[in-house]
Amino acid sequence: MGFLGWVWPLVVGLLVSLGGCRHPEPPPARQIVLEQSWELESGDRVAGLWVTGSLGDVSIALNGGRLRAPFSGRVELAAKGYRCIYFSTPDVPAYLFRFCGVTQPQAGSVQAGQVIGRGRHIHFATLRRQPDGVWAIVEPSDHVLKQSLNQPLP
Amino acid sequence: MVSTPHSAALSPEVIKPFLAGGLLLALIGLVFDFQGARQWWSAPGVAATPSCEAIVRSDAQLSREQLAKLLTVPERGSKETIREIVAEPYCRMASLPVRSGVTAEREAYPLAFDPSTQLIILYENDEYAGYRFRFQ
Repeated sequence: MGFLGWVWPLVVGLLVSLGGCRHPEPPPARQIVLEQSWELESGDRVAGLWVTGSLGDVSIALNGGRLRAPFSGRVELAAKGYRCIYFSTPDVPAYLFRFCGVTQPQAGSVQAGQVIGRGRHIHFATLRRQPDGVWAIVEPSDHVLKQSLNQPLP
Repeated sequence: MVSTPHSAALSPEVIKPFLAGGLLLALIGLVFDFQGARQWWSAPGVAATPSCEAIVRSDAQLSREQLAKLLTVPERGSKETIREIVAEPYCRMASLPVRSGVTAEREAYPLAFDPSTQLIILYENDEYAGYRFRFQ
């Protein structure tokens, strides 16, 4: 067997094994209990069409742009909602930030400013943990949203 | 035809192992660097959030006993109740508005038994709002 004869199986095997290491099973989607309950919520369907946002969301025309981590923290896929993710960070205890309408979500640990997804229309909600453990949608300031939408400096 | 020493040095039999080796290294480099390249591509566009805005007490640490007491305080308790347990923090982080009309104040306490871990306490309107551990 020539040199190339044994090199290629080695290359293929190496790539497959490395590729396997880098793509573990996705973690389970996060499920939370919301204090508010409305008849129509993100992820429902009306006349066969997706409800992509609901009461309590602030909608942003991101036009396919990048969504960024507002702090260093963690991105989890949401069990409910239309393409929703939850962002949490030790820098802001007791809060959870929900972004819906997110494509190409990057679940897992992220650094502040790192791209966590994209979207045409993003629906943003700020959730605060209540003493009984449920999450309430609260009126957000624009601070966290700005941090999530800032584009790279030229 | 008589091959010259120069053409023998560049014959396919000699070049192939070098090409294969180079290709192998390039492929390994690409695989390893792909994640790095993605990180670079998505490099922060905003400055990373500074952890501490002001050091309050450089020797402040939280003991196991203090931590255990703190965890019994219900959220929405007063800031004074927390302060009676944990005293002054190691540092104060920049305050920020998370909710409309409410400024969130954050203080950090390293754990005495695990200094690489900090407990971040959040106050809103002088009410204890919650905590989280930050692992460094």
